Amino acid sequence: MRPATLTKRFYDLVAPDIPNEWDVEEVLDPFADKSDAICEAALGHVPVIWPVSHSLCYDFLRLLPEALHTLSLEQIPRWIGTTLDLYETKGLRAAQRFMQDDLKEYLSKLEGSGGLPLSVASKQLLPYIRGIARDDLRISVSRQCYTDTRTIFVPEEVNFSTNYDTNFLLYKLMLTFQWGFIACNSFLSSPNKTQDLQDFFNSFKSPLLASAIYQNLESIRVRVFLNQELPGLMKAAEKHIFDKLQDESQHPVPQSPLQLAIIANREDINSLLAKTLCNPDCKAYTEGLAAPHDSMRITELLYKDSEQGEDESLLNTFSFQGVFKLGQVVTAGKIKEQKMGEELSDLMATYLLSLSKKELAALMQEDQDKKSGNNLAESDVTMVMDSEFAGTAKQDIDAPLLVTINNQEIDLPQELEEFSKTFFKEFGHLPAKFISSAAGKAGHLMLEQDIESSSKTDPTPEGATNISYDEWDYRRQGYRKNWCTLHCKSLTPVHSSFIRNTLDKYHGLTIRLRHQFEMMRSQEHFVKRQREGDDIDFDALVESISDTKAGLPGSDRLFIRLQRDERDIAVLFLVDMSNSTSGWINTALKESLVLMAEAMEVLGDRYGIYGFSGMRRSRCEFFHVKHLNESYGDKVKERLTSIAPSEYTRMGPAIRHATKILQDVDAKARLIITLTDGKPEDYDDYKGQYAIEDTRHALLEAKTADIHPFCITIDQEAKEYMKHMYGPANYIFIDDVRKLPVRMPEIYRALTS
Amino acid sequence: MKQQNQRLEEHLIIEKPYYLPSGSEIEIALAAHKNGLPLLLKGPTGCGKTRFMQFLAWKLKLPLITVSCHDDLSTSDLVGRYLIRSGEAVWTDGPLTLAVRYGAICYLDEIVEARKDTTVVIHPLADDRRELPIEKRGELLNAPPDFMISVSYNPGYQSVLKDLKPSTRQRFVALSFDYPSPEMEAEIVLREGNVTQDIARSLVKLAGMTRSLKESGLAEGASTRLLIQTGQLLGSGIDIHTACRAALVEPLSDDPELLGALQEMVSSIF
Ligand SMILES: Nc1ncnc2c1ncn2[C@@H]1O[C@H](COP(=O)(O)OP(=O)(O)OP(=O)(O)O)[C@@H](O)[C@H]1O
Ligand SMILES: [Mg+2]
Repeated sequence: MRPATLTKRFYDLVAPDIPNEWDVEEVLDPFADKSDAICEAALGHVPVIWPVSHSLCYDFLRLLPEALHTLSLEQIPRWIGTTLDLYETKGLRAAQRFMQDDLKEYLSKLEGSGGLPLSVASKQLLPYIRGIARDDLRISVSRQCYTDTRTIFVPEEVNFSTNYDTNFLLYKLMLTFQWGFIACNSFLSSPNKTQDLQDFFNSFKSPLLASAIYQNLESIRVRVFLNQELPGLMKAAEKHIFDKLQDESQHPVPQSPLQLAIIANREDINSLLAKTLCNPDCKAYTEGLAAPHDSMRITELLYKDSEQGEDESLLNTFSFQGVFKLGQVVTAGKIKEQKMGEELSDLMATYLLSLSKKELAALMQEDQDKKSGNNLAESDVTMVMDSEFAGTAKQDIDAPLLVTINNQEIDLPQELEEFSKTFFKEFGHLPAKFISSAAGKAGHLMLEQDIESSSKTDPTPEGATNISYDEWDYRRQGYRKNWCTLHCKSLTPVHSSFIRNTLDKYHGLTIRLRHQFEMMRSQEHFVKRQREGDDIDFDALVESISDTKAGLPGSDRLFIRLQRDERDIAVLFLVDMSNSTSGWINTALKESLVLMAEAMEVLGDRYGIYGFSGMRRSRCEFFHVKHLNESYGDKVKERLTSIAPSEYTRMGPAIRHATKILQDVDAKARLIITLTDGKPEDYDDYKGQYAIEDTRHALLEAKTADIHPFCITIDQEAKEYMKHMYGPANYIFIDDVRKLPVRMPEIYRALTS
Repeated sequence: MKQQNQRLEEHLIIEKPYYLPSGSEIEIALAAHKNGLPLLLKGPTGCGKTRFMQFLAWKLKLPLITVSCHDDLSTSDLVGRYLIRSGEAVWTDGPLTLAVRYGAICYLDEIVEARKDTTVVIHPLADDRRELPIEKRGELLNAPPDFMISVSYNPGYQSVLKDLKPSTRQRFVALSFDYPSPEMEAEIVLREGNVTQDIARSLVKLAGMTRSLKESGLAEGASTRLLIQTGQLLGSGIDIHTACRAALVEPLSDDPELLGALQEMVSSIF
């Protein structure tokens, strides 16, 4: 193309801008001797880039002739696209650098892009593997494929074939095969045993080789297991994946018969295996009767052989087999053990604290005798399966569990006993350590209470609004005027991933909740048997006529009316932040609030969230998390995250304050939903009947103000006083705190529809 | 009278229904009947509650009158009403009255779907009074010893709103139903769905997988009923993948990703 034509076309394209002539000439000159196709391509992109950035457009024209040595004309638009994306996200410099320097890398990525990225496949793969495993496994990214038994790691992209389905199948195979190792117990049953297996590998000169041999043997077991369990998958794999892998040309390194057996068609597994294993072993493997210890034994044999013949081929594994990372398995197991243990310990501490003061004191007695100071050492805890039964019971698991703390035998609640046994099954030992720390925790809390009782100061916190409230004294059947001082303040926001983790954890539930709460939004429906309405209710009419005939008075409710249910609801959630909620309960409370908030956002009801705690009548505390009309933004989320157990439960003033807030709100229905873990109790004489009666009165005051109080109580069992305190249908108790996140939105739904 | 008897006879179950017990539910139900106690069956959908009632009715040689509850169900629908026949008002018994009058079994399916003001009519029947007042006729029916009332509900997807009132609930002998153990479920699917043992086992395995997807957003997994229906499609020559898709996967969800995952499970198993 002639330079003059090029220049003219360029000016036309960028009009009404009039760029500097020299700049234009400089970049267009090199195109003078290029083919028309190239010139058209160059000019074709000008209107795309020019409006975004002039200098990027000049750069493009300057670099294009050079780039065309490596890029084809068809690849240019995508290259430009990536550049412009970069310009938008990272700025001009980054875009220029990309055009200038990163061409090679870009090309290699382009070639890889025929593959299937995990991000695309994982939406289906995650529920798939969870269903297959019947366990909430996770999927994560790693260069090599492996599992730590909680998470399965797979590569970011699979580029095995140009075909989408085949790549997807390979992902499926990877995940399923890794699950196969878990299901076939290849890592052995507890962290300690896994460690033993690692030590076993380490006892060889080349632990890597030993591990690879073991993994290949285990892969045979998994293969046979999957043939049985998921024949459809294995047939598809034989056809689309194993065939290609068998193709020798794909693998420069010769493969051992053992490895070939892993990818053989099912009829050939036996004959290939027979080349490596002796007859009875071979049979055990192909019939699915072999166990991990067989693989350990045979590893020793094969290791010797391969060492003599310096046979390196046994080191290979296929991509779907991945690698064994026993260290990570051990770590994951220990983390799980710790987590379960802590849950157990929290549960146990809560249980111990629920015992009467006397019982608890008796349990802790010895501690205090032994140590004269304030130091509470770990209590002396024993935990055994009753040996008399262990002999006779079918399994250890059936034997009764005996627990003693400082030589006092205690009865575990059934839930705790079952939990302990599950723990035993999973980790091969009883969680005595955690029970012991629970005893320590409980003792510590008791001690703290004692110390606090000797300190008399009640400092008034700064920056808080103080309001006085009356308190009901049942003994004199009257109020104690301005008895309590309530300090209102905001919780300090805490930044963490709590909200995100909760939403992840309850992913399925949130979806269901959204759906359910959407259905609750204002809706219309027909009501039958009305005195007036838009249509005749024929059923009612016929009945009425018949009744009249039979000599009975006929009903005059003969119409159907379309009714619109407007939701106009305002609700305050009051969260008990007393010390006894520490551990699980607090977590569950917060998780429930997160789920509630999500659901409420869908529903559109006005809602506020407050916490309460405090110590003594002079320092009741009321914490703001979210005001009624505040939007559910980051600050609210951060305050929600920071809800934490603090001091005591003086319920009365908190309910009175919530009532006061709601009194000024105009809504068809107003609710206070209190979340607590049990009895109201403060440090001073606010306990027992006095506390119950005051709380009851506060609730009555709310009802008088036409506000519906409702209480959700997390407790081991429904207590006698609840009904008296809240009134029969105004509370619900939840015996398992883990159910709270599921139950709470349900409860709300029921209350308001 | 004759007409009524005819109406009743239609509800007699002549042929022995196939029912595989999973515990002592039959003994308990028979004992409840003997003592005039009402029965509450709870459990997920399609796990054999209705079938169990049929079996029980057959065993007791009593007619089984089933009412499916819904929120439009009125007291008259249960008790009865006057209708006009050739210009005259004629009283017609509702299913509940019919059962009480002639000592049959009345089974209220999905009782929580009915409004609470409807369900209270069963209260006097479900305690030791065992009587049914028919207000419009000024009649008080005393239930004969053979009469039995039984109700069912699915605690899985009910909110507290639809929960039974404690005053209703606490009148019943309750039997909790769940999906049978894998071996038994396979046997049921084999028989009812008319499939080979291999297929039955694989279907049950598949159902087990779908039932573990609660956290992934599937409220209820595949029921025994769906497995049987899949088997029936197979019997009519539909190939296994299509049958599973139509009778097992699609009925469970509308979420494309979940459907995809379920389909992958199918193709892994078969
Ligand atoms: N224990 C069993 N013995 C024999 N058949 C069974 C058994 N359990 C389930 N079935 C089969 O499952 C099918 C569905 O059971 P059924 O209709 O009794 O479910 P349901 O519990 O009443 O469900 P829904 O709550 O949806 O009404 C039955 O038709 C029957 O074929
Ligand atoms: Mg039914």
